[in-house]
Amino acid sequence: MTSQDDDSDTDTPVQLLTRVSRRLAVVALAAVAFVGTAVASNAAVGLDSASQQSLSVPRWLYVATGGAVIGASALLASFVTDRRFVASIHSWRRFLTDGRTLRRGARVGLSVLGVVLLPLVVLRGLTGPQVPTVNFALVLVFAGMRAGFTMATYLFGNAWPSLNPWRTIAEFAPNGFVSYPERFGRWPAVGGLLALVWVETTTGVTSLPSVLATTIAVYSVVTTVGAILVGPDEWFEFVDPVSVFFAFYGRVAPLTWTREGLELHLPGMRLVEEEFVDGLDDVAFVVALVWELTFSGFVTTAAGASFVELVAGVGLPPLLVYVVLYLGGFAAFVGLYVLAANVAADYLPTYRSARELAVWFAPPLLAIAAGYHLAHYFAFFVSLLPTLVTVLGSPFSPPPNPLVLTLPAWFGSLNIAFVLLGHLFAIWVAHSIAYERFPSRVQAIRSQYSFVLVMMLYTALSLWLISLPTAPPAFL
Amino acid sequence: MTNTHTTSTGESVSDAPDAAYICATCGQAYPTETLLIHHRGIRHPDDLSETELEQYHEAYAEEEATLRRFRIIALGGIVLLYFGFLFMYAVFAL
Repeated sequence: MTSQDDDSDTDTPVQLLTRVSRRLAVVALAAVAFVGTAVASNAAVGLDSASQQSLSVPRWLYVATGGAVIGASALLASFVTDRRFVASIHSWRRFLTDGRTLRRGARVGLSVLGVVLLPLVVLRGLTGPQVPTVNFALVLVFAGMRAGFTMATYLFGNAWPSLNPWRTIAEFAPNGFVSYPERFGRWPAVGGLLALVWVETTTGVTSLPSVLATTIAVYSVVTTVGAILVGPDEWFEFVDPVSVFFAFYGRVAPLTWTREGLELHLPGMRLVEEEFVDGLDDVAFVVALVWELTFSGFVTTAAGASFVELVAGVGLPPLLVYVVLYLGGFAAFVGLYVLAANVAADYLPTYRSARELAVWFAPPLLAIAAGYHLAHYFAFFVSLLPTLVTVLGSPFSPPPNPLVLTLPAWFGSLNIAFVLLGHLFAIWVAHSIAYERFPSRVQAIRSQYSFVLVMMLYTALSLWLISLPTAPPAFL
Repeated sequence: MTNTHTTSTGESVSDAPDAAYICATCGQAYPTETLLIHHRGIRHPDDLSETELEQYHEAYAEEEATLRRFRIIALGGIVLLYFGFLFMYAVFAL
């Protein structure tokens, strides 16, 4: 390891970047190759299927392989024990541009765009054709914001604070009449996110444009009044679930504006920085991001639908089944994570409390959430991209013949790669965090055991979900 | 673990100083002397006395040895995992 110490001293960031990207590429290729055989569809081994010799892998083996990939990469990451090398990766940064005028211009442009688009969405949702695939509101909110803009947020950077129309409105109005009680933290945002996902799953906002428009109108009133009451800064930092959602996903992104200008980091490495997740409310929000994707993944599979039908068949109202599944699953996800923190606090020789450990190791879950999001929404976004462009170009005349791309079958295996990539980033981030926080390297390695186990469980669950055939959710 | 509270900077300070090894520079408490030595060596390298420096070098070398053992075990784990899965694929997927 001493020779590596000497090497990392003389490395320029470019060399370092090449080395890191080479390593990541190898890991990613290995992961894809590994699972490529596991899915064994005509996609992953395209030419094989032409000769009718594709493998069929039992689902449990494919799921176990995914978990093993994560476990093996955690072991491999633990081989990297050079503190300076670990630190040089997450502290690598480059200033791209001072760009004050660019920033101001982009901010004004995005604000105007947001303020123009919001009423347009409500108007076209109410008055436009009530057909999901051509309605401006529906296509913009789900293909544009929920899928596309969120992907752009964790792949590039967070532009939501500028685009956010409610912030723009609240900033122009007199605001800040009540001070926000600090003890609430981000709990309102946690509740808000759970509520929004619940509305999305159960009320038909994803297929009925008028319902979506009404929901957005109600949300606008609540948000604007709230932001004017407590002031936009507090409201959008602590209460508004959409803003916290984008702020957290934006942490995964490589680009960020600082006082000096536009700064580039390696993807996901800003998650290592301190004081961004600083309480159990933030931990709950991060876990909620992972959970909402898992939940919506589950209820839209054939297995999920038949599970709900089975339980409802006993005589329970379907909506109650969904509530119990939704909140119970969230509690289980949080519980599992907190349990991991408790176990780690018990077996490690440290005075750090389980709560502190839970807070430290929560940011890596954002990389996992980003991977899940990409797996769930990438194909959806690409296939609806032509429609999105068309409706944005002509909001008042719906396309008579909406173009929806049919994706090649290998897109399915991309999902597996996205899930695994998210977890691999999470493993590295957790490794870096442990090295930042613990004085002993042995302790840093041991601190991750329980968290890696939880991550393996999440991966296995998520890989299982994306391998299941999809179906419309039961009773909704 | 109950005798710990968190200050605004996220540093935890022990309320039972007799039970812990406390860093003279930043007040951080550690349950073992080795951890304190590591902490001081990494966080406050300029404040170390001659003895402390020597202790740190010793602790570092000892840690290196532990890590070497860990790496051998981890490598064994990876090999087991690899062949385990190879055989599982041979049995269940071919």
